[in-house]
Amino acid sequence: MSLSLKNISFYVLLIGIVTWACVNPIKDFVQIDATSFTTIEADISDDTQLSKIRLTSSSNRLISQLSLPISKAVVYVTDQNGTKTSFTEGIPLGTYFPPAGFKGVVGSTYKLYVKMLTGQTYESTAETMKAVPEIENAISRFETFDQYSKVDVRRAGFTVYLDFKDMPTEGDFYLWNWKHYERLSFCATCTDGGKFDFKKLDCVQPKFPTDVILNYMCDGNCWEISSNNDLNVFSDVLTNGQRVVGRQVARIPFDNWTPYYFRLEQRSITKNAFAFYQSLISQIQSSGSLFDVPAETRFSLNIKSVTTPSERVLGIFNVFSVRKKIFIIDRRKNIPPGEEPIISIIPGDTYACPPGSVGCQDKAPCIESTNRTKITPEGWVF
Amino acid sequence: MIKLLPRVLCLGLLFVLSQKSIAQTTSLPSVFGKVIDASTGEPLKGADISVDFKKSGVTTDSLGQYKVYLPYGEWVLKVSYVGYNPYRTKIYIKANTELNVELNNVTKQLEEVIVSSAATKRDIQTPSLGVTVLSLKGIKKLPTMMGEVDVIRSLQSLPGVSSVGEGANGLNIRGSNVDQNLIYIDDTPIFNPTHMFGLFSVFASDAIRDLELYKGGVPSRFGGRTASVLDIKMIEPNTDKFKMQGGIGLVSNRVMAEIPIIKEKLSILVAGRLSVNDFMFKWFAPDYLKNLRANFSDIATKIYYRPNTKNTISISTYLSHDYYRVDSLFSIENVVAKQTSFNYGHSNAAIHWNHYFSPKLNMMVSGSLTDYSTKTFAPDTVNTIDLKSSILYRNMTASFDYQPRENHKMNFGVTGTRYDIDPGNLNEGVVSRVATVKLPLEQSYELGIFADDEWTLSPKFTVQAGLRYSQYYRMGAGTINEYVPGQVPSLNSIVKKTTYGDGEVMASYGGFEPRLTMKYSLAENTTMKFGYNRQQQFFQLLSNNTTPLPTSRWKTADTFIKPQQSDFLSLGLFKTFNENVYEASVETYYRDVRNTLDFVSGANLQLNPNIETQLITGKSKAYGMELMVQKKKGEVSGWVSYTYARAFNQMIGDYPEVQAINGGDWFATNYDKPHTFNMMLNIQPTTHHSFSFTFAYNTGRPFSSPSGSYEIGGKKFPVFAERNNDRIRDYHRLDFSWTINNPSMRKQRWEGSWVFTIYNLYGRQNPYSVFFKSTKNGLRAYELSVFASPFISLTYNFKFL
Repeated sequence: MSLSLKNISFYVLLIGIVTWACVNPIKDFVQIDATSFTTIEADISDDTQLSKIRLTSSSNRLISQLSLPISKAVVYVTDQNGTKTSFTEGIPLGTYFPPAGFKGVVGSTYKLYVKMLTGQTYESTAETMKAVPEIENAISRFETFDQYSKVDVRRAGFTVYLDFKDMPTEGDFYLWNWKHYERLSFCATCTDGGKFDFKKLDCVQPKFPTDVILNYMCDGNCWEISSNNDLNVFSDVLTNGQRVVGRQVARIPFDNWTPYYFRLEQRSITKNAFAFYQSLISQIQSSGSLFDVPAETRFSLNIKSVTTPSERVLGIFNVFSVRKKIFIIDRRKNIPPGEEPIISIIPGDTYACPPGSVGCQDKAPCIESTNRTKITPEGWVF
Repeated sequence: MIKLLPRVLCLGLLFVLSQKSIAQTTSLPSVFGKVIDASTGEPLKGADISVDFKKSGVTTDSLGQYKVYLPYGEWVLKVSYVGYNPYRTKIYIKANTELNVELNNVTKQLEEVIVSSAATKRDIQTPSLGVTVLSLKGIKKLPTMMGEVDVIRSLQSLPGVSSVGEGANGLNIRGSNVDQNLIYIDDTPIFNPTHMFGLFSVFASDAIRDLELYKGGVPSRFGGRTASVLDIKMIEPNTDKFKMQGGIGLVSNRVMAEIPIIKEKLSILVAGRLSVNDFMFKWFAPDYLKNLRANFSDIATKIYYRPNTKNTISISTYLSHDYYRVDSLFSIENVVAKQTSFNYGHSNAAIHWNHYFSPKLNMMVSGSLTDYSTKTFAPDTVNTIDLKSSILYRNMTASFDYQPRENHKMNFGVTGTRYDIDPGNLNEGVVSRVATVKLPLEQSYELGIFADDEWTLSPKFTVQAGLRYSQYYRMGAGTINEYVPGQVPSLNSIVKKTTYGDGEVMASYGGFEPRLTMKYSLAENTTMKFGYNRQQQFFQLLSNNTTPLPTSRWKTADTFIKPQQSDFLSLGLFKTFNENVYEASVETYYRDVRNTLDFVSGANLQLNPNIETQLITGKSKAYGMELMVQKKKGEVSGWVSYTYARAFNQMIGDYPEVQAINGGDWFATNYDKPHTFNMMLNIQPTTHHSFSFTFAYNTGRPFSSPSGSYEIGGKKFPVFAERNNDRIRDYHRLDFSWTINNPSMRKQRWEGSWVFTIYNLYGRQNPYSVFFKSTKNGLRAYELSVFASPFISLTYNFKFL
């Protein structure tokens, strides 16, 4: 660096080597406290599939420990007329289901009662099911986020915006969920030279790992389910009775040309449920800025212990009505020239039984789980 | 100079090898002369003569004389003597050369004070005890962040002053919340002291003369806040000579001019600063900030008029402005908007009239005004939003300084403030699908009468006793809700609304605020100071964020929000050594505050007309001990300080069973950092350049650590059962700056200087916060670091005298 000013005008030489704020994961985070709490997650809906109540004891760890189910409890809801609907435990354990065909009625008021084997009793406040408007229209727009590089799957994609007309009443609260189904060709993948064991329904690793990857075709229909990771809620406090236009509900990756099956669910939730979801959002979705609000869990928001009023109860009694709509998003439309999808290639070979072999299986079954199903999704047209 | 260095070093080596023979050879030319004390003219015996940075072994004799033989050529000569500033020069030896040197005694050197613990105010003749004065000249020596001279950031290197983290908005002084500190610029309050959400202070450094921080004994002329006072004074423009100075930096460009209009009577000061940082976001910011736009500006002006020796009139104005555009960061909740813009800023103005009745009595009358306005808007959609809020502060003060005797000074006066707050006004007169919401305007009066009396009872003992009476009125028009007795206030529990007309008193509070400071000299250079304050605060910030947003709401006291009241005790011991070259101090304090506020879980503070339903009242306490050693003069100056400080809150509320935070137990505040260590070192070998280092260490601040996790809708969420039960990693950082003044080394009217700074020299990723996100593999903890790597900047400053 020369210090002579003779050859330099005043307006030059501004050096800035800038690296801004960064976020790093903490390896081996150590909790300072480990406590379990009774958790009650109760959904009462006007959809026959969605009413269920789950009782667990929360995990006292952040990672790798499941919540323990609470079995053999007496669980029921009553409505404003005193009609009692009992929920019985099913599978998985700790989950209680209403009689087949039960569905909540818009305008009805429900109250939850839970009595555990230990004698602990819990009661919710009365929650009224609010009506939900139809989903009028969802539009998907191809948008690129140029801050990401061309090879980054986050750069190009379709943003899904939703239009709906808010109910004329004041104090409506909404929540959106979506699901996407993708038909699978391969139902199992074994890495490191492993082979699929059709009895154990899992890969068996060889003694000496190799870099061979084998993919097993599905033995029938199988879909992979993906859903929204984020919570998305909205209050009509500033837009009562208006048409709400352009609410972003999802971002769909441009990872293929194929049509994209998109099932959107619109729920009308209660004020308490809205407050509960908002607190979850502030804890893990909008956290990490300079301006975070205190991370606080809303205990006993609308479910309280009758036997021990000071007990801190986790969860929510969520009474909602719901509408669903299926959209098929055409990922070939309105793509600017030069934009190509980033199609991920499945590595490895497809396993096939050697010709003439007896009793050999080369197709893996589709195992039902929260992110896989054999059941053809509603409105599947492909 | 830089080019010269290798040659000098090589020659130095040669010199060491042949030193002895050279010294004994008389055929070489010599440098000889006399070394004397510059002020007394006394010869200095035993002063060392060094040549090319090596000791020559030659010292002066009893007459102060010396002689060194040197080969022909260019040499660097240094004459040094204990307790005196060394003298350096470069000489070219062609023949015998005489070099007489006058050395300055360090103890008699004028202090280039960065920090001092005595008040030096000229206009108010009441010096306070327990005040820290920072000169801007001193602050400019500290390493800066991105090359911006920053008042707020520099203050944080002092004991007792901290913030929740880098980039946080505002200061926490001796365990205070940010809104408990009164910040004045020329007697007009500043409600948001930072630009860019907390990155830089709002004060254009060129316009500032000095700042006084009253973190202990607050004189009774200050009122309205429960912790400290930061009193910033603008320069009084020179009435004789035109002066200009400014700078070009990475973040902003600055210019300041002092313009005499009528010689010795009227002059004007204009200072401005404009940021140039849009490009930084485009080029350097991480992905999620690339679309961010952020610009700011400040303009300060002052007209100074002295019609005669008895009167001075000054009119100062201060305007600051910020603009941002962000993608989604802080959009208004429940509004569909892709991008949101923010505008905010202060418009401050003050007029002061000083009248000197006699050498014993003078009067100051001032009128001041602050308008702080914010606007949040998203104009380009059908869901247009346009949210405005503002605070209008208007004050009149008359005060007198009376000094009946040399050892007895008084300051007394009256003051009155009117607040008009527009807490939020959404879409008034705007066509939009988003509703119009207009919160009722709030207006109030804060009146005060005050007197301070400083009496030097004996050469050893000085007492300053003060008393302030503050009276507060919350004025109509307005409505007060009445809630079901015994029930937590909520929208459903309103039983009655009482409406008050324009000018009717809706609520009133008042009380005495005694202030006392005492100084007792234990020995000639040792003093002990004791202070006690009671202060009241009728106006506070409602924010539950880690650090307040610029758009956070301020609220005056009302039926539900009682004024905060604090009691503060401090005791300190101060000692100077070696004729004021060194100063050591230890101070302890205890602070107790009633009626502080916290907020219910998930509080909704924006556009809420019934804000009392969101509040929890409680108490705060803070205590600590501050140790500091300063070297104030000499080639090497600086300070080292250690602070032990704690700050706790207890939030029980009126309905503990539902409102109590942490079960009603005391919990650490966000800014509770027990151990703090600061160091500042300034090395100034010549007037042409200087080096500074600052080092900061503190215990990590508290955060809420989860007690486990639970599942909702098949997704995992952390369980936060306790507030602030764990701490983030400790913070430490080293900064460096190198200032080169007048690199051409020629005396001329235009004088330039370069400041090269490295912030966070060893690139520590200091955490600002710890937070949790759900990933495919469950919940993970993350750390956010604001300045995670060394930040190099270069600033060019100029002066035109």
